[in-house]
Amino acid sequence: MEIKDIISSGLLEAYTMGLTSPEETSNVQAWIKQYPEVATELKSIEQAMESYAMAYAVEPGKDIKDKIFSKIEINHSVENYGTAKVYSINPLWKWAAAASIILLIGSSILNYVYYNRYTTINTAYLQNQKQIEDQNNQIAQMSSDLNAVNNDMSVVQSKYSEPVALHGLDAAPDAAAKIFWMKNTGDVYIDPSNLPEAPAGKQYQLWAIVDGKPVDGGMIVKTKKGDKYQIQKMKSFGKAQAFAVTLENEGGNPTPKGTMYVMGKM
Amino acid sequence: MQQNLKYSEEELVVLLQRQDQTAFSYLYDNYSAALNGIIYRMVEEHHLAEDILQEAFLKIWNNFNQYDSSKGRLFTWMINITRNLTIDTLRSKGYKKQQKISQDENSVSNYHDKTLNSDRFDTIGLRKQLVNLKPDQKIIIDLAYFSGYTQEEISKEIGIPLGTVKTRMRSAIMELRKILQ
Repeated sequence: MEIKDIISSGLLEAYTMGLTSPEETSNVQAWIKQYPEVATELKSIEQAMESYAMAYAVEPGKDIKDKIFSKIEINHSVENYGTAKVYSINPLWKWAAAASIILLIGSSILNYVYYNRYTTINTAYLQNQKQIEDQNNQIAQMSSDLNAVNNDMSVVQSKYSEPVALHGLDAAPDAAAKIFWMKNTGDVYIDPSNLPEAPAGKQYQLWAIVDGKPVDGGMIVKTKKGDKYQIQKMKSFGKAQAFAVTLENEGGNPTPKGTMYVMGKM
Repeated sequence: MQQNLKYSEEELVVLLQRQDQTAFSYLYDNYSAALNGIIYRMVEEHHLAEDILQEAFLKIWNNFNQYDSSKGRLFTWMINITRNLTIDTLRSKGYKKQQKISQDENSVSNYHDKTLNSDRFDTIGLRKQLVNLKPDQKIIIDLAYFSGYTQEEISKEIGIPLGTVKTRMRSAIMELRKILQ
């Protein structure tokens, strides 16, 4: 088709009013790209028809624009191009926002109140917990002490135990100790509670005199917790004529070297 | 134009492709009355016309990426979207196409003379000029433009061959262009 024929065909007018078939439409679109004169002609037709539409314009109601904008804003993705824009918000969202702020404030106040209560109660709880712990410790201590006393008593009360009193010598005339020798088993116990306090680095050592010679009977120890002496088991002897306690260097010696404090015969 | 803001068509297209609401507002201010006029001529009912107008603008907004400036002017594209939407609405509502053109136009003109911001478009001036359009030319434009008739339907309605519809439409618009110059 020549340019003149295209222009006079009436297709451009039909195209402007959306009346062309899909085939005619693609033809027209190809022509206006190909021929600037056709494009210019089409533009004039379009402008004429636009003016025609303007001539019959009917102003829509004032609320229509807001209605349209309220609908496009709901779907509008948040995109910013250059200047800041003011978006109006659907009233429903304003209420929702107000409601959520009120809920947030309310929740914060409750949080604060409950946190304070929690802190108070937690402090009281921790104090109680500590008291219970202290009491448990006391009970455990008493129970352990009681056990020790029971042990001491069982040694003292045993029908097989033969007590041997050890008397103070020149180094400490007031010192005393007791041996409990179990006739049935040969076990030896000592009650060292009346020995003077051993100086630092020194320890009492028990000796049994067997056939005229001193034999090591073991070191006398203090209780784990403190400085108390209590009845303790020593080495066993089949027989012994006498018992003695000397003050030796810590850890003891194979033969007695230190001062003898107490002694007693069977 | 009474607004300070004025966009060229190219600027408007670029902004609308970026979903610029200010540009869309400008588009509405300048073209809503013309589009509403077309819808009103087709449906002759104000509320329905305004409902369709809302839908048309939403469609223009949502489908703006489909506009291709190499295929025609923006306003013509908007007019065609609006007209097709109106035809679809009328069909879906079971309306029968009716020839409204021969009816008394004064009722229409009374309505928009009252509500139209005529300074913006010089509607009255335009319509005075359109009086010069011959009735047999005007009717062929109106049937296509305001009634959404196809060329076949126009051919049947006026009783002229299809080929003649095309040439007469051309001469009618040539006349219109002459009048508007």
